[in-house]
Amino acid sequence: MSNEETAGSKPSEKVIELRLPSRLGYERVAMDAASSLARRMGFEGDRIAALKTAVSEAVTNAIEHGNQHNETMKVVVLLTVRDDELIVSVTDQGSKSIDEAYVSRVPNISEAMQKDDKGGWGIWLIRELMDEVEFTKAPGGGNQVRMVIHLER
Amino acid sequence: MLEDELTVSIRINEKVAIIDLIGDVTTFAEEKINNAYQEVTKAGAQHILLNFRQNDYINSAGIAILIGIVTEVNRHNQKLAFSGLSQHFQKIFRMVGLAQYADIYQDDQEALEAINNAAAA
Repeated sequence: MSNEETAGSKPSEKVIELRLPSRLGYERVAMDAASSLARRMGFEGDRIAALKTAVSEAVTNAIEHGNQHNETMKVVVLLTVRDDELIVSVTDQGSKSIDEAYVSRVPNISEAMQKDDKGGWGIWLIRELMDEVEFTKAPGGGNQVRMVIHLER
Repeated sequence: MLEDELTVSIRINEKVAIIDLIGDVTTFAEEKINNAYQEVTKAGAQHILLNFRQNDYINSAGIAILIGIVTEVNRHNQKLAFSGLSQHFQKIFRMVGLAQYADIYQDDQEALEAINNAAAA
């Protein structure tokens, strides 16, 4: 884990970087780090719970779909603390892009009940729970999700 | 270390088969939850209560498992309820639509009272 004021970052900005192995369960480390920072920043309990779920889903997606459970590949989580917001960016090292239609899909429970695969709720949950969400390709080629939660004072 | 074990146990209270879930409901929970559901169904349960422990972690893979249970409950004409969920997960269950298929109670006592009273009426 590194904690630094990066070159080019705002003076009041703190960036914490986590590099997680692509193994299910390690999403908890990111959830706990995000939760701890958010609590110190003054976020309310319901917003912290929403953040934990969004971080969990983003890291789980990166482990399962981006890095295909390859434990030698890392999931990089950047937590950027600003005065009025927390930005969480989750990047995988996979070469498989997330399908754009999948990203904007709104799942439906009655349809899910008709199918064998009842999953696919993660990205939708992230979009519903965070204030800003952006899916992009990382400079290194992996998928990147950038999530922002605003501190309402 | 990080693959938290889920403990699943079954108890019966009057008309209700209660499945207690102690631990996190993620992809690792699928077999245990499905086995418990099949066990109470084989025993003839009509009312099933999934009792969670506040503050445990439920992710989208866990939600998919629960949608599977809801699907089976509908198929078998059983009734399902949830209790012990944090406010956050009550909200998530409503957002996903699970609340359309199962009543949500604050805790198992409230659930048992309501279900047993309704079943006796």
